[in-house]
Amino acid sequence: MKIHRRIGALRKMKCFPCQFSNTVKSTQFNTSALMSVFEQADIISTVEFNHSGELLATGDKGGRVVIFQQEQENKTQSHSRGEYNVYSTFQSHEPEFDYLKSLEIEEKINKIRWLPQKNAAQFLLSTNDKTIKLWKISERDKRPEGYNLKEEDGRYRDPTTVTTLRVPVFRPMDLMVEASPRRIFANAHTYHINSISINSDYETYLSADDLRINLWHLEITDRSFNIVDIKPANMEELTEVITAAEFHPNSCNTFVYSSSKGTIRLCDMRASALCDRHSKLFEEPEDPSNRSFFSEIISSISDVKFSHSGRYMMTRDYLSVKIWDLNMENRPVETYQVHEYLRSKLCSLYENDCIFDKFECCWNGSDSIVMTGSYNNFFRMFDRNTKRDITLEASRENNKPRTVLKPRKVCASGKRKKDEISVDSLDFNKKILHTAWHPKENIIAVATTNNLYIFQDKMN
Amino acid sequence: MKSPDICRSSWKQDGEPISCSSPDLFKLQLRNQQPKTKYMLGKGGKRKFDEHEDGLEGKVVSPTDGPSKVSYTLQRQTIFNISLMKLYNHRPLTEPSLQKTVLINNMLRRIQEELKQEGSLRPVFVTASQPADPLSDNFREAQPAFSHLASPSLLPTDLVSTTPLESCLTPASLLEDDTFCTSPTVQHDGPTKLPPPALQPVKDSFSSALDEIEELCPAPTSAEAVAVAAESAAGDSKAHPCESSVPKPEGVAESRTAESKLMEPLPGNFEITTSTGFLTDLTLDDILFADIDTSMYDFDPCTSAAGAASKMAPVSADELLKTLAPYSSQPVTPNQPFKMDLTELDHIMEVLVGS
Repeated sequence: MKIHRRIGALRKMKCFPCQFSNTVKSTQFNTSALMSVFEQADIISTVEFNHSGELLATGDKGGRVVIFQQEQENKTQSHSRGEYNVYSTFQSHEPEFDYLKSLEIEEKINKIRWLPQKNAAQFLLSTNDKTIKLWKISERDKRPEGYNLKEEDGRYRDPTTVTTLRVPVFRPMDLMVEASPRRIFANAHTYHINSISINSDYETYLSADDLRINLWHLEITDRSFNIVDIKPANMEELTEVITAAEFHPNSCNTFVYSSSKGTIRLCDMRASALCDRHSKLFEEPEDPSNRSFFSEIISSISDVKFSHSGRYMMTRDYLSVKIWDLNMENRPVETYQVHEYLRSKLCSLYENDCIFDKFECCWNGSDSIVMTGSYNNFFRMFDRNTKRDITLEASRENNKPRTVLKPRKVCASGKRKKDEISVDSLDFNKKILHTAWHPKENIIAVATTNNLYIFQDKMN
Repeated sequence: MKSPDICRSSWKQDGEPISCSSPDLFKLQLRNQQPKTKYMLGKGGKRKFDEHEDGLEGKVVSPTDGPSKVSYTLQRQTIFNISLMKLYNHRPLTEPSLQKTVLINNMLRRIQEELKQEGSLRPVFVTASQPADPLSDNFREAQPAFSHLASPSLLPTDLVSTTPLESCLTPASLLEDDTFCTSPTVQHDGPTKLPPPALQPVKDSFSSALDEIEELCPAPTSAEAVAVAAESAAGDSKAHPCESSVPKPEGVAESRTAESKLMEPLPGNFEITTSTGFLTDLTLDDILFADIDTSMYDFDPCTSAAGAASKMAPVSADELLKTLAPYSSQPVTPNQPFKMDLTELDHIMEVLVGS
């Protein structure tokens, strides 16, 4: 029923039916399942809920964006929240070729950020390595009928056959979801864009690449301001790159950016036009007992996220998640070890490049729980209040409908207990890099390589 | 996934790895290899070196610990080789990640700094033919640059038992098998102890000669030296297994001079290469690895250094000059004229060989 409507809508759009057919909702589970699984045609590269949580956008390596919509809650089925169905699919970015360097520009979507809803349409920013696009996603469920000069199929009528006049009226039609690019922000980044972040003024946003951060106005595509530039005059001296950046959720003049050396800099745009000098520098002194060849690499921050309150920020490096109080620069207030058992395997992980994996992290709506991914399709949640943590696995085999996910445990050494997994049997190809938490409810989206899992907690 | 040389290993329940590592790394390691070391997959058997070694993974050992110092050096060399492999073997269709490149560069620089500092601490010339004992004394004196860092406690993980993962350290495991099992004159830790003492005096004279060789042409000086460095790095990892076929101290010293060549020219020239890498994504692969010149590592004092260098220089210079000139934004200022003193080189070779 509803699925049919969606298929009809998608045919009108510039999308690929074959991709949609791969995005198949798992039919094993009934509508009140605790888990939905969607398989995407390509590797998922970003996941993001919108501000209300009703929509969930995913971007993939093929440049496509797939948006899921939460069903309206059914009064009769009060034991579960609305399920997510595919709402819209469109091709956001195409592969390009840089003729000057003779290299391809990947169409992989690095980040998606939603704008808050101002009218009936939804807007999101999506970016690949070089170009940011503003997309408008709108619904159409009525169409005009009864034109005087045109037939219903669009052919023009012979004016001599027109004998009466009528007023066209809007009649309901099958719901159609259209995505159209409204702005294209291009040619502002020499290096690869790793982050975009919308300001709390909802008029400007920043985009960050390895060495520079630019400030844009959403209406203006041919100009941007450069607000951070860490490119050294002599590229030989380059030892540090920008890895992530984000605007403060409440202060429209404040943003942070993280580096590959494990530092976070908070900048105030009121201080100067070029925010090369930070207002605050967050850095934890290194633990000398943990020093190794790989200390710098594992300290590189892969993601930084402000809490919803704006008081804290969270950073993810290779082995841990750290929570910083914006008022204290010299060390984080909380540190959670994600997979400390990997510390002894760093050399192998360096050899097979896994040490460069960029894990993301996210807060729940109330900032009480943080979540991040790991290997073997495991993901971890840390409760900041109770200091408890849990490891869960996103896989189809172990989960039947309505089953609560079973906590997993990795055994670092020694005797392996029952149900534990030993470090050596972890699958490092199965990694969860992208996770998202619904802004208001306990619904999470977890992306494995090709699959998107949506879990919700059991309502009583 | 686009990058073909990224290794993704997954392990089955019983600990035996399924897939193998980067093919390029593999190729260089496999030449002259005995069949039993062809697979980096551990079959679960303990190697005898494991008795002495505490493990290669992520542990910085105390410099006062004799055999552990070896493992530290070993690990450092392994990581150095891996890092070079990553930088020079990568042939991406898209631009390589700048963050990854920067991190690998930093790793290489750090190791270089350490080696430089270690080298500068050893003033006494030690010939390769000396027995291991005085070498080991010198060795212990030389505190590694990391000495200001406390050594971390041994991690609870039983590293010996995690054989499959250890065995993924292809260069290290091969080093262990060949270097330590086949050298007749010294203990398993002997040959590795040789290089640093032998490095220092050899480095001085040899590297200065090498610098002269580098000053062949202005622009490609760096690139050529990088070619030398990269090839010697490639050959270095090759040279280690080659030691098994030449278990003489001279042979070991010879291959270690390849390592010394690695050290000196690398700092300056490496930067230029990386800067061109940052700026232009120019891959020197076609030039550097098109034909890996192994004549450098023939243990024939008459032909090795002079012959190879002169053979290499003209080939690289022209090509690199053409390719680098339009791209490089580095103002390359060539001032020193090329002078190659063959007699001086011969003298050095005699010293090395000890004849």
